[in-house]
Amino acid sequence: MSESTSESATSAPKKGGHGAAAPAHGGHDAHDAHGAHGHGGPHLAHHFDTYQQQFDAGKLGIWLFLLTEVLFFSGLFCAYTVYRGMHPEVFVYAHYFLNTTMGAINTCVLLISSLTAAWAVRNAQLAQRKLLVLNILITIACACTFMVVKFFEYEHKFHDGLLPGPAFHPTEQVWELETFKHKHPEAAEYAEKLTKAAEAKDAAKAAPAPAAAGAAVAETGVFERPTEEQLEPLIKAGVLGPTAEDQTRPSKPRNAHVFFGIYFFMTGLHGIHVLGGIGVFIWLLLRANKGEFGPKYFGPIDYAALYWHLVDLIWIYLFPLLYLIH
Amino acid sequence: MSNEDTPENADKEPKSMQGSSEEQPPEPREDATRPNPALEPTEQDEPEEAARHEPPPPADGHDGHSDHGLAHTMPVWMLIAVLGALMGLTVLTVSVTSFDLGSEGNLVVAMVIATIKAALVVTFFMHLLWDKKFHLILFLTAVLFVVLFLSMSITDRGEYQKNIDLYQSTTSAAAK
Amino acid sequence: MASPSATADVVAPRSSGSDNYLTHDKGVLSWIFTLDHKRIGVMYLCSVLTAFALGGFFALLVRTELLTPGHTIMDHDTYNQMFTLHGAIMVFLVIIPGIPAALGNIIMPLQLGAKDVAFPRMNLASYHLWIVGALFMLTSLAINAVDTGWTFYTPYSTTTSTAVVPAAFGAFILGFSSIFTGLNFIVTMHKMRPPGMTWFRLPLFCWALYSTALIQVLATPVIGITLLMMIIERTVHIGIFDPTLGGDPVLFQHFFWFYSHPAVYIMIVPAFGVIGEIIPVFSRKRIFGYKFIAISSLAIAFLGFLVWGHHMFVSGQSVLAGTIFSAITFLIAIPTAIKVFNWITTMYKGVIHLDTPMLYALAFLWVFTIGGLTGVFLAVMSVDVHLHDTYFVVAHFHYVMMGGAITAFMGGLHYWWPKFTGKMYPEKAGRFGAALVFIGLNVTFFPQFILGSRGMPRRYYNYLPEFQSLHVLSTLGAYTLGIGFILTAIYLFKSLKTGKTSPANPWGGATLEWQCSSPPPYYNFHKAPVVSAGPYDGYENLMYDEAIGGYIPRKSSTST
Repeated sequence: MSESTSESATSAPKKGGHGAAAPAHGGHDAHDAHGAHGHGGPHLAHHFDTYQQQFDAGKLGIWLFLLTEVLFFSGLFCAYTVYRGMHPEVFVYAHYFLNTTMGAINTCVLLISSLTAAWAVRNAQLAQRKLLVLNILITIACACTFMVVKFFEYEHKFHDGLLPGPAFHPTEQVWELETFKHKHPEAAEYAEKLTKAAEAKDAAKAAPAPAAAGAAVAETGVFERPTEEQLEPLIKAGVLGPTAEDQTRPSKPRNAHVFFGIYFFMTGLHGIHVLGGIGVFIWLLLRANKGEFGPKYFGPIDYAALYWHLVDLIWIYLFPLLYLIH
Repeated sequence: MSNEDTPENADKEPKSMQGSSEEQPPEPREDATRPNPALEPTEQDEPEEAARHEPPPPADGHDGHSDHGLAHTMPVWMLIAVLGALMGLTVLTVSVTSFDLGSEGNLVVAMVIATIKAALVVTFFMHLLWDKKFHLILFLTAVLFVVLFLSMSITDRGEYQKNIDLYQSTTSAAAK
Repeated sequence: MASPSATADVVAPRSSGSDNYLTHDKGVLSWIFTLDHKRIGVMYLCSVLTAFALGGFFALLVRTELLTPGHTIMDHDTYNQMFTLHGAIMVFLVIIPGIPAALGNIIMPLQLGAKDVAFPRMNLASYHLWIVGALFMLTSLAINAVDTGWTFYTPYSTTTSTAVVPAAFGAFILGFSSIFTGLNFIVTMHKMRPPGMTWFRLPLFCWALYSTALIQVLATPVIGITLLMMIIERTVHIGIFDPTLGGDPVLFQHFFWFYSHPAVYIMIVPAFGVIGEIIPVFSRKRIFGYKFIAISSLAIAFLGFLVWGHHMFVSGQSVLAGTIFSAITFLIAIPTAIKVFNWITTMYKGVIHLDTPMLYALAFLWVFTIGGLTGVFLAVMSVDVHLHDTYFVVAHFHYVMMGGAITAFMGGLHYWWPKFTGKMYPEKAGRFGAALVFIGLNVTFFPQFILGSRGMPRRYYNYLPEFQSLHVLSTLGAYTLGIGFILTAIYLFKSLKTGKTSPANPWGGATLEWQCSSPPPYYNFHKAPVVSAGPYDGYENLMYDEAIGGYIPRKSSTST
């Protein structure tokens, strides 16, 4: 009966992968036996008796791993829920800065990659090597597209000063954004007026005008009672009102940076998982090209696809929570 | 979980080691000299366990019946249909944001649609419909624990938020 | 050798001189890259025991400092670092991996008659991750040892200047090590049982490991994300936990304890499993209430997820939440008590053999009961308000962790020592060591109950002079405990060289691991044994053979 310990030198011990967030490598690798001939079949590990047992074990294993991933992300979803419950204005404020179109593109891209991943499992089961390679390639391509779009999104944020924590210094005020102006034009105008008035007041204070009468004249004309359309979006977004940072003029809600912290953390962690998935699929692509997979042995493709579907699942929830805030 | 129990076979002499998850008689050993057996579907493959306990796969005239082989094979039309549904739901969820459905109405609708999409992915793409029931139980357990975690934390969130707000406003006032 | 009898491989004992898993492959690399669960378990054992020595060293430093109020041997900041390191090392490096990774890895597949665990490479990865996690912790020690307490509470952990990030990241990595072990065990037990071994013929050690593995898989990711969030908060200041940035520090506590309470069940449930193995064998009597013990492990695992708020009664949590947590905590006492009563009933009218493993098991029954009951005291909210963060809590968890988990670990170590080393430890020394440990831990921790109920807070460097005599007593106990462990280490090491060769079944166990040689061959079993009886049946079919110093099946006086 052949041996395990010495042959194992060919497989490097699996570490945490990309910052320990993608340990899928370790799980998948364990199911294939490098050059395991003569046990009872190629690709049948020595400690399993049948292909079915090996496949079932791997399936259970990957489902357990997906469980851990769900619980892992749940912490962030919990933080999100608690925050949004306590500070809804922060979320309303922040969503104007996000690009829903890019988010939607990413959603569609991931959905397509999920299709091709599931299709690849079918191809592997039927030993359709060329189709398998093609589907894996498309999955990888979609995943890379996702990362590229994400990169551009992040670049915009950096450019606009929308960084987490104390680095949060938006270059544009929320009412100056296209998204806000498009949705709430009167409110945008009103906020502009208020800002100008406040700036004029500051200027008057800094350089006390010779004519107090002149200053008084500058102040008038602003304080007609605002309409619902003018005021409500600003209060909802924490620009004005009790949650605003600056009570003298339109500003931002006090803890606005928290949203972006959560945003970067959630999408960043998700992105790391996407990268991990890309790595796994590249490795599988090479193996599939060599024709390793067939009806008795397609576990790795199946397990990788399951992982990928979970990555997609998480995005299915992230998208509305981050991009589709009303 | 009945798949997991093996019948008592105290008097039976096993010809080879058997994994306990199977109830069928042991399969004859693979002929290791056959070229690349992994690539050939053979009649000797065990009848798929799931075929006994799970609903039979939907009849399709196309490629790939699942009754031999280690697991059910998804038909192509089904894959594409599910993608279509998912895309449609995505369009729906984006367009719904242009309607105002009340303070939390939009969130609820978005979450419902997301859950439908998730259910589609899990049932079809992730194969749970044809898979061992235990995997479904595992997945639902994970969801249950997330709900548990979130609900207790949320129940508590109101408790000391006032203290935090007070602290923040006094420190920021002091800073000014 | 390939006998057709129902018990598989070995009938006659075989000497450890022949080829076994220890001698099969030579060289350091064959150990570093091994896929053999027994070797991985042995490496874990060595690493965990080394970490135990290190954590114990810090404990002795803490106890020495507490001999006098105020400065004894170190200043207050160093003291904070000492107790933090003691806690973090013991929790993350010793007790959580402890029994599952060290003993479970070696023994569980043998008890299943399997050749290995389901995912041998993941098993190896789990061990290497432990090493990496340990290195990160040591890094923290080297730079500026963390001083937040092992609980890393915010906002202190996000603002202190000590090296929190390496320590927290080390714990994060260790979490993955734990998850891999748990995942592996679940799949192994589902998919690799031999013919005839139904779920209710699994040894209770396996049931315990299974329940533990469920907790590991479900709870550990939460500590992972929590530590990650804390690290990000500390480095990037996103504002989740820091109130100055709009965060909520109690949210950290919810996240932390959602894992850390189930974690204590990761620590103790495998210990229950070990005790469940030892007691029937050393009472020569079938376990009483097998099914109840098996299911109670699952019940404890499940209920353990519902009680984390009992660590937070005084943190500003709502009274409603507190009440719910308190009530469910009481419930956990029930499955736990079921186990204890069943073990005691097993011993009733049994033939008790007071060998070292049994001494540890008996010690466990006494000490764990005290620890467990005091936990119920703490579950009462009105009582907890007074006892929270006092030495009463410290005594409680040391009774269950040291008196429970570590005692069971010692018992299991001695029980299975002949199996995986092929040598017998000296019995007299074993009994003496067990006695020292038992005396030491009671003298160390019982006074702490008194200290706590009289108001001595935990983690305090300075204290009122009225507490000093009890502190001195506790420190004396700690030194006794330390000596007990050192003596144990000495004779165990010595036995490796000069110990008597062990037969396959020195204790007369009926579980499958006793049916292969001591030490086992690298492949465990030629064929999976066909299981036709429960794991604690058939002691009457084993008889003691003086010549080999172990048990052999009664029927086969003629071996093949």
